[in-house]
Amino acid sequence: MPKIFIPIVTKNSESAPPPSQKVVIDPITRIEGHLRVEVQVQNGKVTDAWSAGTMFRGIELVMQGRDPRDAWIFTQRICGV
Amino acid sequence: MTNTRLVEGSAPAFEGRLTRQGVSRREFLKFCGLMAGTLALPARYAGRIAYALETAVRPPVVWLNFQDCTADTESFLRASQPDVDDLLLDILSLNYHETVMVPSGRMSVKSLEDTVRDYAGQYVCVVEGSIPTGDGGVYCGIGGRTALSIAQEVCSQALATLAVGTCAWEGGLAAAVPNPTGAVGVKDAVPGLATLINLPGCPVNVANLTATIVHFLTFQQWPETDGAGRPLFAYGEEIHEECPRHDHYEHDEFVQEWGDAAHRQGWCLFQMGCRGPDTKHNCPSVKWNDGTEWPIGAGHGCLGCSEQRFWDRHSPFYVPGDDD
Repeated sequence: MPKIFIPIVTKNSESAPPPSQKVVIDPITRIEGHLRVEVQVQNGKVTDAWSAGTMFRGIELVMQGRDPRDAWIFTQRICGV
Repeated sequence: MTNTRLVEGSAPAFEGRLTRQGVSRREFLKFCGLMAGTLALPARYAGRIAYALETAVRPPVVWLNFQDCTADTESFLRASQPDVDDLLLDILSLNYHETVMVPSGRMSVKSLEDTVRDYAGQYVCVVEGSIPTGDGGVYCGIGGRTALSIAQEVCSQALATLAVGTCAWEGGLAAAVPNPTGAVGVKDAVPGLATLINLPGCPVNVANLTATIVHFLTFQQWPETDGAGRPLFAYGEEIHEECPRHDHYEHDEFVQEWGDAAHRQGWCLFQMGCRGPDTKHNCPSVKWNDGTEWPIGAGHGCLGCSEQRFWDRHSPFYVPGDDD
């Protein structure tokens, strides 16, 4: 198992981390798209986590009823990376 | 509001930055020549551009990604003739760009807030992607704020806003029928901006984005634009008129089927749905992929991606359009 480093931000590094804390990282950078991650930390261990894509265009809805030969041109634009 | 003063550049400092980036003097001058060519200026302007870039203040730039696919960023980062992105990053100070910046979360938002506060009226705002207005703007959120509120705050305090790609111009793909999220471009999300330059294309051609910035640094004014805010040097000529296959059009020599004899001989793609006659863009001369090729050159029709509502007006893409 690789070691995963979760930074815990506390105001005073001398004191022990709070027993339960939620860390929110939004935006996550160096990715394509928009991502938000929330992590629940209890006694220095991750107990729960949520991730959310925070952008929606509705390309599935845009494509309905169109000429199937055009599909690649639309779907190609889902991600330009 | 007290603004932080921008520091004027000097030729030796610029030279030093270029050297560190591994860009030679020769490559730099080649780049200046390329820019003069893209701006349709006589070659003698290359020297003036070089001097301007060496001594220009480095304007802070914030790059906002909204409902996008990051292809405009890719267009910017992938250029390598010479390494335009390296050169631009020497000339500009890119303070905020989610795809390439080191900080995440609250720290990244701070970079944006600091720039807007300290350089109000002095920074350039680049917008990529459309801005959803439906349901209070919930369809695009960054750092807990809607794209709409970020655009309104950041664009309105910028020296100028550059809307790159068709989505940032007028909504693009997300705004195609039925426009599920109420997507619009910058011009409608933040109406009344003093300086808004639209650089449509799917994606933007990095040569045109770079040339627009170089024009400003060289002449202290933005390039002349058409009624839609698109620079005339890039969107002044119809693709059809400049097309190397135009003679075939005049002689009724059309491709009728993919791979037929006419296609193999490079005849006109109008019957295959080419939208060159309805599209103004400098693709025939500037081309793509470091100036190597472009769609019609590669044997596919033009989608007309720099035109208003092209996703709806130009589709179905493989059905011939109107040639007036």
